Amino acid sequence: MTEQTDHSRRNFLYVAAGGLGAVAGGATAIPFLGSMLPAADTLAAATTEFDVSTVVEGQLVVVQWQGKPVFVTHRTPELLAQLDGHDEDLKDPNSEAIDAVHAMWMDTPEKRKTRSIKPEYLIVVASCTHLGCIPLYKPSSGRAEWGDSVPSNWPGGWHCPCHGSFYDLSARVVNGSPAPYNLHVMPYKYTSDTTVVIG
Amino acid sequence: MLNAMMKTKIFAWVDRRTGLEGIIKSQLTESMVPKNVNWMWVFGGIAMMVLVLQIISGIFLAMYYKPSAMLTTGGFSVAFDSVERIMRDVNFGWLIRYIHAVGASMFFLVVYIHMGRGMYYGSYKEPRELIWIVGVVILLIMQGAAFFGYLLPWGQMSFWGATVITNLFGAIPVLGDLIGQLLMGGFSVGDPTLNRFFSLHYLFPLLLVAIVGGHIHALHTVHSNNPDGIDIDFNDKKNVVSFHPYITMKDAFAVALFLILYAYIVFFNPQMGGYFIEVDNYVPANNLQTPAHIAPVWYLTPWYTILRSFEVKLVGIAAMGASLAILFLLPFLDRSKVRSARYRPMYQGMVIMFFIDVIVLGYCGHSATTETLKLVGQIATAYYFLFFVALLFLPKIEKTRPLPEGV
Repeated sequence: MTEQTDHSRRNFLYVAAGGLGAVAGGATAIPFLGSMLPAADTLAAATTEFDVSTVVEGQLVVVQWQGKPVFVTHRTPELLAQLDGHDEDLKDPNSEAIDAVHAMWMDTPEKRKTRSIKPEYLIVVASCTHLGCIPLYKPSSGRAEWGDSVPSNWPGGWHCPCHGSFYDLSARVVNGSPAPYNLHVMPYKYTSDTTVVIG
Repeated sequence: MLNAMMKTKIFAWVDRRTGLEGIIKSQLTESMVPKNVNWMWVFGGIAMMVLVLQIISGIFLAMYYKPSAMLTTGGFSVAFDSVERIMRDVNFGWLIRYIHAVGASMFFLVVYIHMGRGMYYGSYKEPRELIWIVGVVILLIMQGAAFFGYLLPWGQMSFWGATVITNLFGAIPVLGDLIGQLLMGGFSVGDPTLNRFFSLHYLFPLLLVAIVGGHIHALHTVHSNNPDGIDIDFNDKKNVVSFHPYITMKDAFAVALFLILYAYIVFFNPQMGGYFIEVDNYVPANNLQTPAHIAPVWYLTPWYTILRSFEVKLVGIAAMGASLAILFLLPFLDRSKVRSARYRPMYQGMVIMFFIDVIVLGYCGHSATTETLKLVGQIATAYYFLFFVALLFLPKIEKTRPLPEGV
């Protein structure tokens, strides 16, 4: 043993010990942060079954799927006619921006316009793609029924009360809305003529 | 009285083991304050008092509050019912809850005045930059605590307010989904969210106490600013008074006046026309229906307007974040050597406009959106940021008035 201190050895040990301590500290955070993620029962996939024939013509029903609200709208031929003629006012008329607004069955221009398997029943996630509020249903076109809460060329659709996003009757977002995307389409299928399974 | 107490044997015993006499002297009796501080300097003390009041009333509320979104036979939820039980059945429950709910608004009112004081008299400038920066941290933690607390009654406004804010964080690129899930404990606001918000609502005020300690420690190191914003010799007795008894008595008088106003609101007008407690929050949370008009409580509305002023979602969120973050930079944006607005004619006009601007932003955020209000909000948002940017160039053109020799 000499009188002299080996500084490089000491520095190495400082850094090594300190570094290991930091790694251990970081690793300890994993279970704590991990515990805040959705628990197993929350994650368990759930489906919702719904009979669309219970929705009156022209009306809207909100059902719950995995804790999220889902719109089921029964569109009359008149309401479906309101989908035409304003494509240039839409951010994403063909629902191509992200996967969540698109579905495999949207394979014809007609389906991309109605955004539904059966044209009359539109089924979409009801959370505004801006900040998650549920938009208000304002189906008739023009301002007659809604006053200046909607634009003058209102095609009919949804108006989000929180930050003023607008969607047309296929839940396609209108230009000038703070919402970036059309309302999301979740997987669903018809198991009989009127029974739909969401999820 | 303090002097008599410090002469007792038991004090000497404690002092030898803790250095208590030194602490009392350095923090109270020999901590010097400029003798010309005006009434705007009482709001720090009042804020501390309100913090204590919030913690005490909160501890007692937590003895009866139940953080569960489980539905009850009445069709409401456990959390909503437990709040109603506090209001109707628990002895003095109504009083303690109103003290707590009104206290949240009063805390922000006092802190906003306190910050306005700091901005007007240049208290954020060298050498007090860290006091200001720690103060902004305090503001952010207060906003967090208020946000967590607001979910607890599990009413419509609670639920949808939390939905909007958690979606805000969810929109952050790349990490957004993870952060959203960490906050909510699921894919939407629900029972797990309520539980963790209660836990965090209890934690944040305790963080506040620690950070307020740092705020005051920094203050006692560099001493208080004064209305003239000039440097003074703190060792010269003709410039200063001791914190105790002079400032403590002044603060106590201000606290008494403040409590009269506070008690009036608690006893006679606890909802303050829907500003302090929103009427919609007496409707139980319903995850299938958004209220027709949702707005945060008044103290968060200025930032809400900034968020709403942009049509691109991410830009709105970034602007709202920037509007808070820019407060941290204030001491470095403003390079003028003169502190107080009294001697800065241009800054004086700008900062008064800024205060009005924040009130306008608040008003816009509280109202339902119309075309006009949206435009007003956008102009107010522009001024909010312009104010900070203009500070960078102001010293080049501003002709300041001569400073007084002493206080």
